[in-house]
Amino acid sequence: MAPSAHPRAMAPARPGRTRTAPPQTAEGWYAQPRMRRYLLFDATGLVYLLLGFLMLRVTWALGSGRVAWDRVLANFENPLYVAFHLLSLVAVVFVAVRFFRLFPKAQPPRIGPLKPPPAPMIHGLLYAAWIAITLLFVTILCGGLFA
Amino acid sequence: MKQLLLKLEPVIWLLFGQGILVGTMLLTGWLLVVGLALPLGLLPAGALDHTRALELGSNAIGRLVLLALIALPLWKGAHHLRSLSIDFGGGARDAAVATLLYGLASLGSLLALVAIARL
Repeated sequence: MAPSAHPRAMAPARPGRTRTAPPQTAEGWYAQPRMRRYLLFDATGLVYLLLGFLMLRVTWALGSGRVAWDRVLANFENPLYVAFHLLSLVAVVFVAVRFFRLFPKAQPPRIGPLKPPPAPMIHGLLYAAWIAITLLFVTILCGGLFA
Repeated sequence: MKQLLLKLEPVIWLLFGQGILVGTMLLTGWLLVVGLALPLGLLPAGALDHTRALELGSNAIGRLVLLALIALPLWKGAHHLRSLSIDFGGGARDAAVATLLYGLASLGSLLALVAIARL
């Protein structure tokens, strides 16, 4: 396989004489609806970071014994935890819907010798997988499987 | 530090992407059960009893799922918060912010391995 080209391989030896202004951000860019949704998508990072550490606490408690485990579950009935979990659920659904919409657009034109499936099929498969995994997870956690 | 971050970019993007995809798919069920069913008293008795939860979490698949549920959201969160910081004019402080956030995600991922080994 040929080595990849240098990113500036096609650049002129000397910069052109055209003077260009440094890039500037438009005034109030963050208030535009498109940018607001984009920033909200980024901001879900805080919820995910907190969720990751919360899952760490849950796993740690599971390994620490019955008392620690029961304490964590009792904490989850606190209104603050309920509010955080509901906010997290909204954030997760928002991320899923936005990401699933972007996913087909991010596919390369070819994957080896194959072309990726059409966008509606990728979209449908992602939603089907999401619903199936969620149902399976809920069934297991509620004792419907492996009881 | 910037050079190191550029070198690590593919790994970070892999963890970030999987954080969105796998993390989201796994977290939805967990949040429905713990965020809604548990406080509303809808869970069958003993469903999340310690013995049963330990049995579920301590087999090979359970450990893998728990590792994904901890580490992947941490990397998704860290990368998105870094992106948010850059969007709000944080280009100059990016190396420090990235080090802090990826450091937190790395620490959390290491602790996840320890937590899973304790099961």
